[in-house]
Amino acid sequence: MTLVGAGTADWFDVEGTVPTPKKARRLKDGTVGLVVGLVMLILLLIMGLLVPLLSPYTIEQSIDMPFLPPSSTFWFGTDGLGRDVFLRVFDAVYLDLGVALLGVMIPFAIGTIVGIGLAVGRSKVLNAIVGSIIDGINAFPLLVLAIALIALLGPGLQSVVIALSLTNWARYARLARTRAMVVKQQGYIEAAQTLGYSKPRILFKHLVPNVSSETTAYALSDLILVILLIAGLSFLGLGAQPPTAEWGAMISDGRPTFQIAWWPVIFPGLALCWAGVSLSFIAEGLTRRERDVKS
Amino acid sequence: MTAPTPTTDAESALKESGHGDGPRPQSTGEKILRRTGRAIIVAFWVMVVAFMLIRLSPGDPVTAALGGDAAPETVEALRKTLGLDVDPLTQFWQYFTGLFQGDLGASLISGIPVTEMLRTNLPVTLWLILTTVVMTLVISIPLAMFIALARIPGLPYVFRTLTAIGLALPSFLVALILLYQFGLVWGIAPIFGYDPTFPANMQYLWLPALVNCVVLVPVLSRVLYSSILDTLDEEFVETGVIRGVRSFRFFWFYVLRPSLAPTVVLLSYMMGVMVGSTVILEIIFALPGIGRELVTAVTMRDYPVVQGIILVFGILVVFLSLLGDIVASILDPRVKLT
Repeated sequence: MTLVGAGTADWFDVEGTVPTPKKARRLKDGTVGLVVGLVMLILLLIMGLLVPLLSPYTIEQSIDMPFLPPSSTFWFGTDGLGRDVFLRVFDAVYLDLGVALLGVMIPFAIGTIVGIGLAVGRSKVLNAIVGSIIDGINAFPLLVLAIALIALLGPGLQSVVIALSLTNWARYARLARTRAMVVKQQGYIEAAQTLGYSKPRILFKHLVPNVSSETTAYALSDLILVILLIAGLSFLGLGAQPPTAEWGAMISDGRPTFQIAWWPVIFPGLALCWAGVSLSFIAEGLTRRERDVKS
Repeated sequence: MTAPTPTTDAESALKESGHGDGPRPQSTGEKILRRTGRAIIVAFWVMVVAFMLIRLSPGDPVTAALGGDAAPETVEALRKTLGLDVDPLTQFWQYFTGLFQGDLGASLISGIPVTEMLRTNLPVTLWLILTTVVMTLVISIPLAMFIALARIPGLPYVFRTLTAIGLALPSFLVALILLYQFGLVWGIAPIFGYDPTFPANMQYLWLPALVNCVVLVPVLSRVLYSSILDTLDEEFVETGVIRGVRSFRFFWFYVLRPSLAPTVVLLSYMMGVMVGSTVILEIIFALPGIGRELVTAVTMRDYPVVQGIILVFGILVVFLSLLGDIVASILDPRVKLT
């Protein structure tokens, strides 16, 4: 594994005789991280599927014994209402990840379309106005805009998704527009035009795939941010409402009694970190692999 | 804010450095001027977005504030108070002129003008941001320098793994744990309260700022680390080594200063995320800042306050990014500002 990028500061090696390693069969940079991340994610998804299926309880069912510490029967203990924390934590997997995925995919689609439209479109006035609105939206912290929109829409996960769709698209639009401007100038677009391909064909077969490869890379790191954002909004009481099992809401629920019972807070928190870290490792692994191929 | 005038110094330095061999080299002053102009335009659109948010989003603020079964007279009265009874263009004009007269409307609940609320609450948020930025730099710079220069095998790998983890940690969870450990178990941090005077407020701010660093340090130290590695590749560093430039001068002028610019640009880019996370931290640490005010206003459906505060947040981010870009272009004249 090359720790410091190849060719870095060779003057530091006074001996200067470090042989360049042969291009032997070796794992690409970042493969380990990618695999670890994927395994972590798959484990979480499997647990999210199995635990609610196999558990004898339901997420709202109380066993009348609040604040039982973690034990062999209740691995993660019980919360203030006597509900099984283990079940609730894993029941939330698909809700948290699903809402986040939605909160990334809708802005991704809107943003890519708007961005490419701006780069391809001819109307200067429209371009200037939409471009300025994009800058205006992007200037706000995402969390602040989402909070403000939820003020109008009312709290709930549905509002969170709508708020994200109305705001986060601007980031994708800016990225897609910049990228589409570059792609437009590329030789293969000109070649396609010379060959007399129709405009829709050039747009959908050449421009869109090349632009969306860039925005997809951003979407992965955005997914981490959005997962944290959704949990954060729920923590503030603006996202998932009780008794829904959602990590942020569970942490918020357990917060007043954190001193006497840490488990209703820490376990959902760990699940949230686990999800974030797995995606972070995947994103990191993918970027490093790509860079490794290029160099 | 006064924009610095272009100095001939900077221009000649740029020409001599040979880096400005683009189509038309820009002086640092010129770049800063252009960037400031752009920030003003963006600030205008921030105002427009804050204005439109209340009017164009799905859901009617008046029925949302009063509930569905309010009497028509009450609805009409509130519509009038909010200035929603005239056409949108007039509304925008009233809002726009009001802004320049320092009028952001008044709270629907308490009747206190929004500007009055800002006067007491905004400094708290600004102090928190300032403390966070200072702490982030104080932690990130030595950390990245050490990892880039120490050349301990395996260390960069550990560092990269740890930053990938740090990136994905929810700040509110970190805040809860640290507040519990530092505030309740060790008793070295107050768990609530605030003192608005300078040295005394640090006692309340250091822990929230430290938590906020969890968001920033992984990203910043990573970028600074790879930026230092890039700088070490530059010929001027080699020249410095050959000429025998030593210790402080070498580290600051040859290695750190040219590496800092991308970090500062990134810091200004991260301001949005950071300012956003102060909202949550203000709530957990019970700091009377504008973020906490915003969430209270949202739960009370107090629209003028919501609109006023998000406007301030937007302008704040625009201003902080501008500041970051200016600092970056002073640190390294090669930086291109968009």
